[in-house]
Amino acid sequence: MFHRECGFYKTSYEADQAILAFPIARHAVIGLTLLFLVVVPLFASDYYLSNLSLVGITVVGALGLNILLGYTGQISIGHAAFMSVGAYTAANFAVKLGLPFYITLPLGGCMAALIGILVGIPSLRVKGLYLAIATLAAQFIIEWVINHTPAISGGVAAAIEVERPVLFGWNLNSSLELYYFVIFFAVLAIVATTNLVRSRLGRALIAIRDQDIAAQIIGIGVFRYKLYAFAISSFFAGVTGVLYTYYLGIATYEQFTIITSIDFLAMCIIGGLGSITGSVLGAFFITLLPMVIRIVMESVGPYFMDPADLPTIIGQLRLMFFGGLIMLFLVMEPEGLNRLWLNIRNYFRVWPFSY
Amino acid sequence: MHPELEFGIALAAEGVLTGLMYSLIALGFVLIYKSTDAINFAQGHFVMIAAIVVAGALDWWGVPLFIAILIGLAFMIAFGIGLERFVLRPMIGRPIVAIIMATIGLSFFLLGFGPLVFGPAPTTINLPIPDSPIFWGPLYLKPIGLVGAGVSIAFLLGFGWFFIKSRAGVAMRAVADSHQVSMAMGINVERFFAVAWVTAGVVALLGGLLWGNMIGVDTQLALIGLKVFPVVILGGLDSIPGVVVGGIIVGVVEALTSGFVDPVVGGGMKDFAPYVLMILMLMIRPFGIFGRRQIERI
Amino acid sequence: MKLLRTLGFAAAATAAMAAANTAQADDIVIGMMCDRTGVTAVTGTVLCPGYHDYIALVNANGGIEGCSVKANEVDIEYKVPPAVEAYQRFKSDGAVLVSPFGTPMVAALLKTMEEDKIPGTSAGFGTAAAANGEKYPYMFPIAASYWSQTAAAVQFAKDKFEGDLNGKKIAYVFYDNPAGREGIPVITELAKQEGFDFRTFAIPVPGIEAGPQVLDITRRFRADFVIAHVFGRAPAVLLKELKRSGYQMDNVIGFVWAGSEGDIAAAGGWDVAEGYNTIQFAGVGSNYPVLEEIRAMYKANGEDPPEEMASTVYYNRGVFQAAVHVKAIENAVKAKGSCDVTGTEVRDGMRQIQDFTLGGLVPPLKITEKDHEGGGYVRVFQVQDGKYVPVTDWYRSYRDTVLRLLEEEHKG
Repeated sequence: MFHRECGFYKTSYEADQAILAFPIARHAVIGLTLLFLVVVPLFASDYYLSNLSLVGITVVGALGLNILLGYTGQISIGHAAFMSVGAYTAANFAVKLGLPFYITLPLGGCMAALIGILVGIPSLRVKGLYLAIATLAAQFIIEWVINHTPAISGGVAAAIEVERPVLFGWNLNSSLELYYFVIFFAVLAIVATTNLVRSRLGRALIAIRDQDIAAQIIGIGVFRYKLYAFAISSFFAGVTGVLYTYYLGIATYEQFTIITSIDFLAMCIIGGLGSITGSVLGAFFITLLPMVIRIVMESVGPYFMDPADLPTIIGQLRLMFFGGLIMLFLVMEPEGLNRLWLNIRNYFRVWPFSY
Repeated sequence: MHPELEFGIALAAEGVLTGLMYSLIALGFVLIYKSTDAINFAQGHFVMIAAIVVAGALDWWGVPLFIAILIGLAFMIAFGIGLERFVLRPMIGRPIVAIIMATIGLSFFLLGFGPLVFGPAPTTINLPIPDSPIFWGPLYLKPIGLVGAGVSIAFLLGFGWFFIKSRAGVAMRAVADSHQVSMAMGINVERFFAVAWVTAGVVALLGGLLWGNMIGVDTQLALIGLKVFPVVILGGLDSIPGVVVGGIIVGVVEALTSGFVDPVVGGGMKDFAPYVLMILMLMIRPFGIFGRRQIERI
Repeated sequence: MKLLRTLGFAAAATAAMAAANTAQADDIVIGMMCDRTGVTAVTGTVLCPGYHDYIALVNANGGIEGCSVKANEVDIEYKVPPAVEAYQRFKSDGAVLVSPFGTPMVAALLKTMEEDKIPGTSAGFGTAAAANGEKYPYMFPIAASYWSQTAAAVQFAKDKFEGDLNGKKIAYVFYDNPAGREGIPVITELAKQEGFDFRTFAIPVPGIEAGPQVLDITRRFRADFVIAHVFGRAPAVLLKELKRSGYQMDNVIGFVWAGSEGDIAAAGGWDVAEGYNTIQFAGVGSNYPVLEEIRAMYKANGEDPPEEMASTVYYNRGVFQAAVHVKAIENAVKAKGSCDVTGTEVRDGMRQIQDFTLGGLVPPLKITEKDHEGGGYVRVFQVQDGKYVPVTDWYRSYRDTVLRLLEEEHKG
């Protein structure tokens, strides 16, 4: 009843191929836009805005990783290293050359993509597990290089402070302004990825994931397209790093460790491999999970145990939940939160006439 | 003898002993890969949880070392069986990403579980091994290193024999090659999976005892698992002699880098050198020095 | 449907319980970040209870000039995004003082806290440059920075070798990250001044092995003295290795995060570490009046003192931090005359701290507008017969060198 697919006739190729084909999709997008751009900023406090900004930044990273992992089927455990490449590039250009953010952001992304190509060339020739290990090595190597090269890292402290982004002379430094800043790029990333996966390049990547030998036979240069996927994924990672830098006002490599890489892998897997909604849901879930666990434990905990022990137990439970949820999703719902969402949506698609 | 050369030899000896202790950890990884084709990213965490259980038994119940080791053994066996039954059996036939992520999830779970049950404070396992070094010409050997190396070699020889000569070993290799054909031949695939994971757990227990004695027992002990990857890539993911050779190479490279390259570069190359070697190996010969499988190249 | 209904009930119940646990209106709120599960969990799980215990003591004795204090804690797992989230939460709770935990967190929040005018402390970590109160008005190291610690360590070595370091060899062992490298400029400078020969030895992250480095120190470089700026797992590993090489432990000195009871235990016990010296910025041991008061408070509630108290190095630091925070807030409340203080007023209160020693637990800090470090005082404790014994009084040294380096850093 909410959603009818009958009665809408498409009379042109463009209409058939449109991303938002049905009115319900258009309504949903308008609704979400209103929600996140108007309603939330009006009613949410700084705390919620900053959390949503963090989620927005991770959405970009998760989308990048999903392009590589979900659509091309390549495992990368070095995602965080490319973020730090992007972060330091942008920070260096911003501080040393005084470039504004709309130049340093693409520069950061491009540098990360370049490094991604460098890492990809030796590792993409071998299949499966070896790429994972090669990107793990890349993670450590890049961390080491940044740590030990004062020219990149900005000195002994290996942290570079940057000024907040300036838009047409307007300094963006309140939670609200940074929120809009981040959401803009998150939306841009979502739109870009949606278009990418529907394009020729996207179809080639999916072909490689499903049957790479067959793809090679029908003329898709597997190595070349894998390299593209890696470069694009690294570009997204670089942009994520730059966004973190501008959001926090500082670039530190200690923020982009192997644990961060694994967080992003978890986002893609729990959210759903090979789906954009999945990346967004995964980003929300993983970023907000620690907060949710803490809130639940703080409310419920004092009834069960000594408040003094609580903080330690919260932390350990959080780790156990995180790991347990990953395993649970893998065992029970391999397609992640996206599948859960699709189940709900499909139910309402034909409601109340589900027979 | 020239002092630098003497120093270099001492360093190399140290590297060999440490490398063999890495091999012990990598052995668990290779066992699992050889038997079930699964990549265990949580091998370091197995070592950690085994050490935590033993140290916990020692600290809390004050039992003698021998009993604590038995408790640890019982725990790791139960853990291996439970793991296979509840987490890995549903994942048979799933793509490699899924299994890797499952072990990563497991590693987080263990990181929380250990301190939750046994407390976060670091502790140690006191083994009846003397601390003072043995001097032998220019060499300078730590007893714990010698014990570790000895245990490693013993296990490596034992498993080498097991996989080639014994019936069960051959069956496990068959299972690794193809689950379906093995089942058709009447091999109980699931039971051998459980055996593989339990064995890896037992090896992890030994690693936990030795490394726990060397560097103390707490959640940081899991980081030793990161050393596994250079070792198995260099030696070959499914090769037992490869684990020995890979371990020795990694240990010696680390030690020599620390002694001769670090002072020039200003530090830190020690942990990084094996990864560089690993990347080179991946480019030239991805299946390692002794690896058997052919890698599909694009 | 059933699942959704259950989830709905759970959410409602949680919300109800959450509502029951909110703060009172006239509490003074402090935001305390803690690492309970990350790489420095060994510190956080002992330090933070110490902090909370002191706050509880203060509240039990009538609060700060009648205002009750609430310390909200968040576990940040030693990661930056949770720290940022925690900071935002503290801000929305109305915190007047926020205590970050860990050097990268300080770096990430430095700017934000300055913009929001909320002061923070970074006792025993953070960048040494933060001691400069003019450059970073809202960040207070309140304890000797790594520069001051390096200077103090060199002084200790000098005293050990009867005031003459000429031609001696000092090994500076450090954890290979920015915090570990902080001491290098100072020791380079002092090597020129005092004429000793030094070499640096990096222990790479994650700091679980030190074999080759120790071999180098003891057999090739043959250091006369070892200064160890390591943390995490590395102190225990280093101690064990040095002991195994037969090195004289009383020629080793560790910085503030290298010498807790936990590290000694992990290294194999007190007899392994016999003779090891450590730099501390808060008193070590159990006989300080404030600790007695805390024990008495627990007894009055019919409970045993917590087991964290036995790990005095970190526990006392928690008490130390809480004491300094409370003192700053006290100064602010007294100046304003009401409980409703702002971050800026607490900052000014912090800058008035002097001659506050809490029975010897706290060094004679003197925090001023220019010097947020409080003077850079440390005390050296040595392992003797199974416990820590103070071998020096509170001291600082080469203060002029440290200040000069701060000035250069400010300009550069």
